[in-house]
Amino acid sequence: MEGSPLTAGMTRARRDNVTAYTFLAPFLIIFAVFLAFPVFYSLYLALHKVPADSFDIFGGLEFVGLSNFARLFADTKFWWSVLMTLYYAALIIPSGIAISLALALLLSNRLRGVTVYRSAFFMPYVLDMLVVGIVWTLIYSPHVGVLVRILETVGITAFSEKGFLGMPQSAMPAVVFANVLKGAGFGMILYLSAIQNIPQSLYEAAEIDGATGWQRFRQITLPLVKPITFFMVIIGTISALNAFAEVYAMTSGGPNVDVGGKALGATWVTGYYVFDAFYNQFRLGYAAAMSYVLLALTLIVTVVNRRFLRAEV
Amino acid sequence: MSAGRRSGLSRIALYAGLTLAALVVLFPFFWMVVTAFKQPGQAFAPEVFPSTPTLDNFRRVLSDYGFARYFVNSVIVATSAAFLATLFATLAGYVFAKKEFIARDKLFGFLLASLMIPGMMFVVPQFAIINKLGWMNTYRAMVVPHLANVFGLFLMRQYMMTIPSELLEAARIDGAGEWQVFRTVMVPLSVPIIATLFLLTFQFHWNNFLWQLIVTNVERLYTVPVGLAMFKSAHEELYTLKMAGSCISVLPIALIFFFAQRYFIEGMTMGAVKG
Repeated sequence: MEGSPLTAGMTRARRDNVTAYTFLAPFLIIFAVFLAFPVFYSLYLALHKVPADSFDIFGGLEFVGLSNFARLFADTKFWWSVLMTLYYAALIIPSGIAISLALALLLSNRLRGVTVYRSAFFMPYVLDMLVVGIVWTLIYSPHVGVLVRILETVGITAFSEKGFLGMPQSAMPAVVFANVLKGAGFGMILYLSAIQNIPQSLYEAAEIDGATGWQRFRQITLPLVKPITFFMVIIGTISALNAFAEVYAMTSGGPNVDVGGKALGATWVTGYYVFDAFYNQFRLGYAAAMSYVLLALTLIVTVVNRRFLRAEV
Repeated sequence: MSAGRRSGLSRIALYAGLTLAALVVLFPFFWMVVTAFKQPGQAFAPEVFPSTPTLDNFRRVLSDYGFARYFVNSVIVATSAAFLATLFATLAGYVFAKKEFIARDKLFGFLLASLMIPGMMFVVPQFAIINKLGWMNTYRAMVVPHLANVFGLFLMRQYMMTIPSELLEAARIDGAGEWQVFRTVMVPLSVPIIATLFLLTFQFHWNNFLWQLIVTNVERLYTVPVGLAMFKSAHEELYTLKMAGSCISVLPIALIFFFAQRYFIEGMTMGAVKG
């Protein structure tokens, strides 16, 4: 009666193994070929010379040891990209947390129609970063862009000439601002559910003790949503290490700044450099080596964060 | 912070704050839509709402610039990928939730660990594999590499673990085979999570621009985002057309979100809250 002819006559445990791996097969095959194998193959590419004129790069490549990594570590553009990634993270993590938390606090009030606002804040998170970037490019345009015009009405003309994305000082903050508004809905939901789990009696007790609204926020809300804040720091760092689409759509890594005689992009993050080395320059071995450094950085960040989490929460 | 009753004044202040925040967050999309309806070449006209709104931009990107074709490609890619990724994750989630088998927990930990790897890591070797398989410029190149959705597997397993095993046992006693148990008991009881994962994977593939860009270089296979990126670099100055293309690109996801937002919000934040 039970199972297929294939499993007939087997013990229950044996049969379970066969069934389980049969059900798992499609998932595991795809995982092995397109996720697990690439991690190792990427290392192979990073250690070999990959011809720039051919994409048939399976086997038969010249082993060059660590020379891709050596070149990478001597590459100013690479170290600059790490610096820009840190800068990006330093901007986006605190501002993302602040805006998510502010939206969650606004929503935590029991008001009629509050779910409509919740949906409005969350919606941009599911939409395409490429489109969001293209729209912001229009908004940030010099001379006639809507933001420049709005600022001109209050007398700010500093951005009129080159636009927000055309100036090295403002390009990264502008990219980050666009991204924070798009992504804030995600953190907002996490904070909102954490805030709603805080017992109302804590606030009432504090109120009786004469605590002001700000004190209640500092002493009750903030400490109790700390796990969410740590989570936001971790995913913020990882997404900074992966940042690509926003830069592709808005600045292509630019605009250039002159650093000691070298032209370096003000939004040249490492994720974009990997893409550039691969897609624009066809330096596949180099791109693979760089992606390994990204992986190493991700692991370091995760381990450090874990330590913090264990110590603090 | 949420006191039960609030005075009228503070309530008005809260609504004002919420409305202002919504205006800021949604402003890019508002601007995209109004610009798409402006006369060609009038993207920077000072008025907010176009004085003579036109559908011309939409007509032109859809017919002259091939967006109708891109749209069909996106639908094909996102639908087939969402269907298969959800199917594979459902099958795998079931056995991780309900079966004992060799190396189960180790394997699950190994799969989860892969979530930490930066996405950029996979791009170069996946490209090499696709090229070696001779799959460049095919739908399957866009779909197949992303069919093992580990996050989806995690969602499935978490949900299916809450389904009582007695129900499965009862079906087995009635003589149902493994496949029947899965199909007639597990799947019907997991409809909410299956729907959630289908929507999430559809959204992921609809927006999976970088990968689609890498494996296609012929126009007839462009998806909407790839077409939009190509259009952007070729016609930097045609802003009204770009905005029309952008509208077409986000419309399906915005619509799905409008009708099924609960699934989106719960699905996307579920892993985070549990983890």
